[in-house]
Amino acid sequence: MYPILTRGYLAALLLAWALSGCAGAKPQPAPTLYQQLGGEQGIHAIVEDFAYRLADDPELVGFFANTNIDYFVGSLADYLCVVSDGPCVYQGAPMDKAHQHMGIHEADFNRLVDALQATLLAQPISASARNQLLKRLAAQHAAVMRYQ
Amino acid sequence: MARRISRWGRRLALGITALLAAALVTPVQAGSRLLGTGGVTQIEGAAGGGLSPWGVLAGTASDTEVAVTVAASEAWLDDYGLRVRGVGVNWHDRVELSYARQRLALDTLGGVLAQDIYGVKLRLFGDPLYHPWGSWSLGVQHKRLDQGQALARAVGAKSTQGNDLYLAGSKLFFDAVAGRNLLANLTLRSTRANQGGLLGFGGDRDSGRSLVAEGSMGLFLTPAWVVGVEYRQKPDNLGFAQEQAWQDLFTALFLTRHLSLTGAWLDLGDIAGLENQRGGYLSLQLAL
Ligand code: HEM
Repeated sequence: MYPILTRGYLAALLLAWALSGCAGAKPQPAPTLYQQLGGEQGIHAIVEDFAYRLADDPELVGFFANTNIDYFVGSLADYLCVVSDGPCVYQGAPMDKAHQHMGIHEADFNRLVDALQATLLAQPISASARNQLLKRLAAQHAAVMRYQ
Repeated sequence: MARRISRWGRRLALGITALLAAALVTPVQAGSRLLGTGGVTQIEGAAGGGLSPWGVLAGTASDTEVAVTVAASEAWLDDYGLRVRGVGVNWHDRVELSYARQRLALDTLGGVLAQDIYGVKLRLFGDPLYHPWGSWSLGVQHKRLDQGQALARAVGAKSTQGNDLYLAGSKLFFDAVAGRNLLANLTLRSTRANQGGLLGFGGDRDSGRSLVAEGSMGLFLTPAWVVGVEYRQKPDNLGFAQEQAWQDLFTALFLTRHLSLTGAWLDLGDIAGLENQRGGYLSLQLAL
C-alpha cells in the first residue's frame, strides 16, 4: 500500500506541477505589427528615413513643396502607428481628402511605394513585418487616388 | 551538344557584356512600378513567366511612362534546342506590343522550325498590387510558321498560321508565405496551335480551337529574386504523336531595373514522338 500511495501522491504532485506550469505559460499574444516594426522608435526611424527619400526624389519632392514637413512627419507616424495596431490616435484627414486634387498619377504612387519599400528594407525589421505594412498601405490606393 | 553550348556561351557572354554596357550608360528613365511586377519575357514575346503570358504588361512602365524590353532566351532539351529573341513595348501600362522569333533546332530528327509571333496585349483593368482582383489583360498572338511548313503539314497540321486569344490575370499577395510576397497568375487561352505553333495549327484529330488553362506562382524571396512553378495546358490535335502540358520550375533575378536573368528547369513532355523532353532554360532581359 505504502509505495503505491507514494507513487500516487508523486503522480498527483507532478500533475499539479504540470498543470500549474501550463497555466503559468499563458500563450503569449502574437506581437502586433506595431511591435514588429519596433514600436514608437521603429516608426520614428521609418518616417525619418522615408522623409529623406521623398526629399531626394526629384519627381516626388514637388508634391510636398507647400507641406509643413514637421506636421506631415508627425501625422504620418501617427497614421502608421494606427495602421499597425499601435496605441495612437490619428487626427489627420482621411486618405481621400488628404490627397485630393494633388494630380497624383499611378507612376507617382508606384514611386512612393518603391521609396517606402526601400525605407523598410533599410530598417532592422522582418520581411513579414515589411510586407504586412506594405499590404495594409497598398489597400489605401483606391482612397488616395479617388479625387485625383 | 557541348560544342553548341560553348559556342552559345561565348555569344551569351558577348551579349551580356553589350547589354550591360547599354544598361549602364542608358540615360532612359526606367519605369516606376515595383521591380518584378512586369515579369520577364515569355517564349512568345509577351510579358509573363517563361511559358505563359501574365496579366501585367512589359517592364515597369506606369500610366505616364513607356517601357521597352528586349530578351534573348535559349532552351536545351534532350532532342531539341529552342532559341527565342523577343522585343516588347509597353505604352502607359495600357497596351503592350510584342514580337518574337522562335527557332527550334531538331537535333535528333534533323532540320529547323521557325515562326514569327506578333502580339498585342491590352490591360483591361486593375493592378497586381492595389486591386483586390489583381491586373487583368486580354491578348492576341498572331503566329506564322515560316520554316518547317512542309513538316507541319506532313504530320497532319491544317494550317501554318494561327491566332491565339487569351485572358490573363496576375495578383500579388503580400506577406503570403513565410512573410514573402506571392505572385499568382492565371491564363485562359483559345488556340489551335500544335506545340505552340511550331508544328502548325489544327490537326487531323482536332482541327478546331481548344480552351486551355495556364498558371504560375512565384514567391519573391527578396524584392528582386523570385522562384516559382509554371504549368501550361496544350491542345492535342495531331494523330501522329501525343502532346502534353508544359511545366517548369523557374527563378528570376532582377539585377537592376534594366536587367533580369531567368533560369528554369523545363519539362515539355513528348514532342513530335520523342518522349520526355526536359532540359534547362536561360533568358536575359534588358528593359528600358
Ligand atoms: C498608400 C499610400 C499613402 C498613404 C498611406 C499616405 C498617407 C498620408 C498621410 C497619413 C498624410 C497626412 C495627412 C494629414 O495629416 O492630414 C499624407 C499627406 C500627404 N501625402 Fe500621402 N499617403 C499615400 C500616398 C501618397 C502619394 C502617392 C503621394 C504623392 C505622390 C502623397 C503625397 C502626400 C502629400 C503631398 C501630403 C501632404 C499634404 C499636405 O501638405 O497637407 N501621398 N499622406
